[in-house]
Amino acid sequence: MIEVKNVSKKYGKFYAVRDISFTIKDGEIVGFLGRNGAGKSTTMNMITGFIEPTEGTIIVNGYDVDRKPKKVKESIGYMPEGTPLYYDLTVKEFVTYMAELKLIPRKERKAAVQKAITETGLEKVQNKLTKNLSRGYKQRVSLAGAIVGDPKILILDEPTVGLDPAQVIEIRELIKSFRKDHTVILSSHILSEVSQICEKVIIIDKGEVVAVDTPQNLEKSTTEKTILRLTVEDENDKFETIKDSISSIKNITFAGTNDDKSKEYVIETDENADIRKEMFSKCAELGVVILEMKKDNASLEDAFIKLVEDRPEYSEKEIEKMEYQKELEDLRKELEDKKEEKAFKKQAKKEEKARKKAQKEDKKASKEAAKKEKGGDK
Amino acid sequence: MFAIMKKEFKSYLLSPIGYIFIGLFLLMFSIFFIVTIFNYSVVNFEYLFYNGATILTFITPVLTMRMFSEERKNGTEQLILTSPRSLTSVVLGKFCAAALIMLITEAFTMIFFAILKYFGNPSLVVALSTLGGFFLLALAYISFGMFVSSLTENQIIACVITIGVFIAMWFLPGLAPALEPFSLINMFDKFPQGMISISEIITYVTFTILFILLTIIVLQRRKSVK
Repeated sequence: MIEVKNVSKKYGKFYAVRDISFTIKDGEIVGFLGRNGAGKSTTMNMITGFIEPTEGTIIVNGYDVDRKPKKVKESIGYMPEGTPLYYDLTVKEFVTYMAELKLIPRKERKAAVQKAITETGLEKVQNKLTKNLSRGYKQRVSLAGAIVGDPKILILDEPTVGLDPAQVIEIRELIKSFRKDHTVILSSHILSEVSQICEKVIIIDKGEVVAVDTPQNLEKSTTEKTILRLTVEDENDKFETIKDSISSIKNITFAGTNDDKSKEYVIETDENADIRKEMFSKCAELGVVILEMKKDNASLEDAFIKLVEDRPEYSEKEIEKMEYQKELEDLRKELEDKKEEKAFKKQAKKEEKARKKAQKEDKKASKEAAKKEKGGDK
Repeated sequence: MFAIMKKEFKSYLLSPIGYIFIGLFLLMFSIFFIVTIFNYSVVNFEYLFYNGATILTFITPVLTMRMFSEERKNGTEQLILTSPRSLTSVVLGKFCAAALIMLITEAFTMIFFAILKYFGNPSLVVALSTLGGFFLLALAYISFGMFVSSLTENQIIACVITIGVFIAMWFLPGLAPALEPFSLINMFDKFPQGMISISEIITYVTFTILFILLTIIVLQRRKSVK
């Protein structure tokens, strides 16, 4: 389990990541989505303990990354961005070195290395120098370095960048096979990939978490209308009258005429309405021939764009202003707190004084009473 | 630590850097050997190390400049720093690998001792004390070079700064005699005379430890500013 609590990373005045929080359960495959510079790699680097957050805590399997880095790092396999490798080592030597760095006992090392090499399909090149490999193979070597020794958590920064389509599918299948007993966090630009592999998506934009949900839910949440694209042969220009006969049509727009004189239309309907059958029969009535009819499906891409584009864009000055205001507010709060404390102390002092006075009087009274009693005795 | 040392040592020998260092040192050393014997007719193994110290001042960065700069530039530092190995073991591993190359270089200089032994009768004890002092000087140099390498991702900058500081230290006593204790190379003078001076040994060792610690601190601090 990975818990990220109110984590921020600041470079000077610039926030690379601002106040993000999320939890990832064991065995989940989670995808980080975000534009370039959104803070995906920064977040991953903070989970691995490579960089320290400016604020907030990250807890991995019950251990604080900041306080028990060794315990955390033992359970993480990390494939950094840009596949850094030691170019003077061969594939096998590199993976062995990774195994040594990960404190895998000598007895198990050989088997672990061989397993990682086999899983990533590197047997044929295992004795080649890593610098002589193609980009796709370098990527795999980096992945092998991450999975050697079966760490419980895998953090993969853009694992399929630069691979050919066949390799992409292979690596995806490999990542899917980790599902049973690994927690996987991966970042990607390719949305279809994330929606295929991941059970959960975390969308990050400008250093903030915008959404955490399953890809399906995200896709659903953005569907407000259904769009139908039609190519028709309509010699008498009757098509647009169809709007009157089908009630759920909201809007028909003419998109253009093709070379063969067929016309293209985009039809917007209410959410979840499927008018394809109705459309077919009505068109037949009107004498309009449908050449092509296609329903647009909402994709994760739409969800992503909607979530990311809808966010307000602040200029640096505005951010500065906001920060300034926040600081002011903090100061004000502090002042108020101090005032309250002062008032409280004053009150306490007063009460203490009153109590002491009362005590004194009590003592006096009791003394006098004692004197009186003594006098009475005499 | 051992795993890192092994890998670093291997890297020295896989890339030409280790050979360049050893070769360059021995080449210049043998030139000085010939020159002193034939031109000045001084037959003394220990005195050669005065020149050795000068050579070392200029070629130590060959060993040290890449230590952390290269890793930072290639991004491989992410691999070591996210592994469960402690920073101390990473730094010590790299330091020991460089020290090992230095030891090998010194072992090769025994060839010159053997040549002299064939013709004359040099003292083995003085030779060993010289080698010991020379090794301590080398360790101090390596630890400083390593520290500079941890500061920058540019190997050339690391190299230039390291040599620059070494040369500055060399000529410091000329400015004021009080600066004598900061001149590592001048402190070496006593060893070839057969003197094993505690104060010099302590200075070398503290200097070495200081810069190893500073390297660890730099790497630790970089976590929060990176």
